[in-house]
Amino acid sequence: MSDATSGSTAASSARGTDRGAGWARTEPSGAAGAASQAPPRAAAGETLLEIRGLEKHFPLTQGVVFRRTVGHVRAVDGVDLTMRRGETVGLVGESGCGKSTVSKLLVALEKPTAGEILYKGRDVARMNRRALKAYRREVQIIFQDPYASLNPRMTVGDIVSEGWAVHTDVAPKKGRLQRTQELLDRVGLNPDYVNRYPHQFSGGQRQRIGIARALALRPEVIVCDEPVSALDVSVQAQVVNLLEDLQDEFGLSYLFIAHDLSVVRHISDRVAVMYLGRVVEEGTDEQVYGSPSHPYTQALLSSVPLHEPHLRGQKDRILLEGDVPSPADPPSGCRFRTRCWKAQDICAQEPPALVDRGQGHPSACHFAEARTVVPTE
Amino acid sequence: MTRPDPTTSVLTGSAGTPVLEVDDLHVEFRTRSGVVNAVNGISYSLAEGQTLAILGESGSGKSVSAQAIMGILDSPPAVITGGGILFEGRDLLTQSPEEQRKVRGPGISMIFQDALSSLNPVYSVGYQIGEMFRAHRGTSKRDAKKHAVELMDRVRIPGAASRVDDFPHQFSGGMRQRVMIAMAIALDPRVLIADEPTTALDVTVQAQVMDLLKDLQRDTGMGLVLITHDLGVVNEVADDVAVMYAGRIVERGTVDDVFGNPAHPYTEGLMNSVPQVEAKGGRLQPIVGQPPNLAAIPSGCPFHPRCARRRLGADAAPGRECATDVPPLRLVVPGREAACHYSEEVLGV
Repeated sequence: MSDATSGSTAASSARGTDRGAGWARTEPSGAAGAASQAPPRAAAGETLLEIRGLEKHFPLTQGVVFRRTVGHVRAVDGVDLTMRRGETVGLVGESGCGKSTVSKLLVALEKPTAGEILYKGRDVARMNRRALKAYRREVQIIFQDPYASLNPRMTVGDIVSEGWAVHTDVAPKKGRLQRTQELLDRVGLNPDYVNRYPHQFSGGQRQRIGIARALALRPEVIVCDEPVSALDVSVQAQVVNLLEDLQDEFGLSYLFIAHDLSVVRHISDRVAVMYLGRVVEEGTDEQVYGSPSHPYTQALLSSVPLHEPHLRGQKDRILLEGDVPSPADPPSGCRFRTRCWKAQDICAQEPPALVDRGQGHPSACHFAEARTVVPTE
Repeated sequence: MTRPDPTTSVLTGSAGTPVLEVDDLHVEFRTRSGVVNAVNGISYSLAEGQTLAILGESGSGKSVSAQAIMGILDSPPAVITGGGILFEGRDLLTQSPEEQRKVRGPGISMIFQDALSSLNPVYSVGYQIGEMFRAHRGTSKRDAKKHAVELMDRVRIPGAASRVDDFPHQFSGGMRQRVMIAMAIALDPRVLIADEPTTALDVTVQAQVMDLLKDLQRDTGMGLVLITHDLGVVNEVADDVAVMYAGRIVERGTVDDVFGNPAHPYTEGLMNSVPQVEAKGGRLQPIVGQPPNLAAIPSGCPFHPRCARRRLGADAAPGRECATDVPPLRLVVPGREAACHYSEEVLGV
């Protein structure tokens, strides 16, 4: 376990000795403007990333010659989230809830419609080119599909080292090959495979290549967008363990996005549950899983099949009726009210704020009430 | 230690007479780059009303064995090289295609993982459900549509009468899977094979669909073969489970027994590598290595390169060397079969 201040310097000097001096963590000059304002390598718990009222609306268009906007898909519609250094924040939700859009907004692949993403106190949308370049180095992403996210025409070495073509100061030209091989070794791949192509690897190995690519730029934050969903059960655990080890070694912060509630609970320090573009509940893994207070979280958790035969049939089954409404035309007030058994008149009128109503952690429900859904041993 | 005939199942008899029996089935794919041994001698039987889960990772042969039963293998390259598939005691593989067709649909039917690509996009769902009646029973178009509406009601598609003329793309994932289920149960089959029916679905929808399948099974008494990689689904739905690895069944027993105390190191490894929603849990213990390449299955026990309990060379008991001797699927304790030389050790008995 590393306390970030001493741990990371110790870790980097250790790397310096056994992996070549190039591994010592130096702040690249391009990031100097952004980094000098933030305290360097401060204690764990310092806020690294703060999302406030984040919105992303995609226009719906009609017509071919005269395109006109007929509406908007409110993919992300007011998300607040805080990430501290060294922490793993889990983001769960079903397909279409906007969790992947949040990840794209975070790595600046999409521009938010409204709201702000504050990284070390600076708004990403208002960063100048130089600061944005530094931001993009420090916030990396691992994608879900290890088959589609690697260029089949590039060798593994080229894929991992491609970022250095832009961020030249991260790795001096000399010794890049050696460093690529060190990265491959670190993620559990044979360093001799540097000249192989992605199709020569299995799904789990490809995901490791994706992780090495993200690590190459020595990021502070890695957004993991469903990193293990496409993998076989026995391989999933290998990648989850690798991510945990890398976090300890490099002091990384993760935003871990997944639909698998078990994996998210395992890896996350804090968990946010999304429904139709909004966070409905947030807390530590124990709070959200042990005493969920939003009806949607309760329904979601009650749907997860348990693995222990003796726990079978011991949980309250909450079967939701119907499907998730369209994000192009979300219900007024509380988004969940159309499927909620607690819905009252107020739910249609007033969107519930994500606040603590006495249950110990924030929940966006007018009638939030903690309830045990998942049986414990 | 007595070793019973491996083809005798320990699971039949208890729940009634078997409707479907798979006997030493072998399937291989003859490709340009070599022979891929997808299914290497699997046997199981399914009684009326029984739910048998076939648990395995991708490439374990679980789907291929189901496709062989349904006669929908792509052939070539796939070839059934041995074994039998007995429906109500009669071997399908020795029957003419015409006779087989009479079984597949009214006798055995199947649902697939990806409902969107399994449905024809240019026909309405009502037409596709009704096709079962028109093709197998010669029902008129109008009656077939009436049956389709009834079936859509039965699989709990809201507003069935108004949605019968809708096309697959107008349905959500969960509703499409219900359409598939409606087609599959149209002719009251005695066996339903569900190949990863909920893998593409969200967890709340998965719960709805699994509930529906259970209810339908209770109403009709059909046998259900549930092919999945999800341990949780197996635990919640199935009576018995067969764990597959590299085209073989490596362990078989009731879900309570197998999940409560696995007898094969692979099953044990799977249980340890999966995080659970009940607790955060400690560090995961993954199975090392990768699933095997079916074109080059390891000698001896196919799991031995990844096995933490393997015994090689002088460590092994005579005739039970993991890298050279293939472990047969044998009765380890009453009600449990496993294909490991050292299952007693794994079980701790």
